[in-house]
Amino acid sequence: MPVYIARKLAFFLLAVLAASIAIFLLIRGAGGNVAAVILGKDATAEAINALAQQYGLDRPLFVQYFDWIGNLLQGDLGRSFRTNEPVTDLVVSRLSISIPLCVSGLILGLVIAIPAGTYSALNSDKPLGAVIALLSQVGIAVPVFWAGILLSLLFGVRLGWLPTGGWTNWDVSFWGAVRSLVLPVISLGLILGASLTRYVRSAVLDVMNQDYVRTARATGMTRMQALLQVGLRNAALPIATVVGLQIAELIGGTVIIETVFSLPGLSRMILANVAAREVIVVQSTVMLIIIFVMFINLIVDLLYGVLDPRVRLAR
Amino acid sequence: MTLAPTATPAKPKRRRRRRNLTLTIGIVITVAFIAMAMASFFYLPHNPNLPRIPDRLLPAGSPGYLLGTDALGRDIFSQLMVGARTSLMVGAGGALISLVIGTIAGLSAAAFGRMADETISRGADIMLSIPGMVTALVLAATIGSGALTTILALSAFFTPSFTRVIRSAALSVMQEDFITAARLYDRPTWFILLRHVLPNVAGVMIVQFTLYFAAGILTEAGLSYLGVGVTRPSISWGMMLNEAQQQVGISSPLAMWPGLAIVIVVLGLNLLGDGLRDVLDPKLARRA
Repeated sequence: MPVYIARKLAFFLLAVLAASIAIFLLIRGAGGNVAAVILGKDATAEAINALAQQYGLDRPLFVQYFDWIGNLLQGDLGRSFRTNEPVTDLVVSRLSISIPLCVSGLILGLVIAIPAGTYSALNSDKPLGAVIALLSQVGIAVPVFWAGILLSLLFGVRLGWLPTGGWTNWDVSFWGAVRSLVLPVISLGLILGASLTRYVRSAVLDVMNQDYVRTARATGMTRMQALLQVGLRNAALPIATVVGLQIAELIGGTVIIETVFSLPGLSRMILANVAAREVIVVQSTVMLIIIFVMFINLIVDLLYGVLDPRVRLAR
Repeated sequence: MTLAPTATPAKPKRRRRRRNLTLTIGIVITVAFIAMAMASFFYLPHNPNLPRIPDRLLPAGSPGYLLGTDALGRDIFSQLMVGARTSLMVGAGGALISLVIGTIAGLSAAAFGRMADETISRGADIMLSIPGMVTALVLAATIGSGALTTILALSAFFTPSFTRVIRSAALSVMQEDFITAARLYDRPTWFILLRHVLPNVAGVMIVQFTLYFAAGILTEAGLSYLGVGVTRPSISWGMMLNEAQQQVGISSPLAMWPGLAIVIVVLGLNLLGDGLRDVLDPKLARRA
């Protein structure tokens, strides 16, 4: 087990390093003269040089890279060019929206997908099993923002039960904040649930065809008992992997859903800063998100090792 | 007891019929979608970008406007037709580039030894954990938005999945006896890959292309909805939804048509992909 953990940890660090270089080069390499872009067309050469000097943008790229990554490791994400606000402050103030949104969306997706996928795998001949498979097929084709628009049309405009958009902060009104998150979470959860249902269904189908399940059935267990006692632990592995990979998708969905419902979350901040060409803010925030996703995948990998001895003993 | 023998043979037949139905629906929708996109080059009921203020916000079925007009009086149906063109170009373009790079990388990983395999596979793992939507935003910020940027972003986002799938398909083909035979004949590796491996992973490649064509349309719609994808005078279904929400509020029926178009086309391509998988890859079909 220690070897397994060490190997996964080393890969995690390598991945973070590679991603940071890629992001840095992508933003700095393709972005041209950062200072000139920020100041706009009418800026004088002196002003551009002054800004470049102030933020160290005139130094060689690799020096800037090590500077950035060194500060990042110490928790300093840099400052905004325009407002001089530390990026850390910008990010932290947005997390109270984005984290609850993302986590509740994921939980709702799993709450839908695990029972629905399992049921439709065990009852693929019955009408309800086929209906679930059909709904999940359709749900995969629905863009998350359209789901958001339709939900807000129904529950916000027609029925007037929930706000169609906007944000009430937690400290102003707890229930107000919850109410503004309900529709975004349902949109995210439904669409995520639709695609997860497919994976759960095929993982369960796969497990039910294995010899050990047949053996368990031969001892007199019903299909449900065999699944719960023998199958579930085996089906959990591919499902955990897919959930880990879906985190990246979920964050993409969060970006869009925050726009649909005008929630001032993390991804809206990135979007605004992309438009304003705030390269440091974008670069650091994007890197934080990537580290977060990679960290989740590291946890999934380690869980894999705990759940299944075959994985940690291989090679 | 007497019922069992008759019930058993009936089952595969029904499954085959359902499989054919999936494939047929998929083909019909996909052909209609491509035909609509192609037709937009030759015929449009109206200029999709030309505002006609007196005709603004006409309901569907108004004379001359099949699906009505938007807040500026532009014809919805003409916009949908041009939007189909964008979806087709961006979705297919992104999937095609990913297919080419993914095939080269996947085959190389399968054929050129442990070092190549480790490098390519771990590289793909790293790329998979970078959220695609975020990458696309960064690209839009640095090289500007547009159809070409969107295609590039999709390729960066999809290539690792293609690489993984094609690598694992190629690895199982490499175990076959005819590969050993080809090696005994002292065929060069590139020859074995092109002559023996490629035709045997072609089915997987086609299925993967179809499914990611659909995923590309969804992602493009999302990016254009955010305003970092396609911009006018090009038209995208995602952009239309964004405009509908901004101009007249979401209660408008304008938000229906582009959304329905996306759902139908993506569903059609997914059904086509699933149907093709059943036909081309009997191993997988038996399981599902």
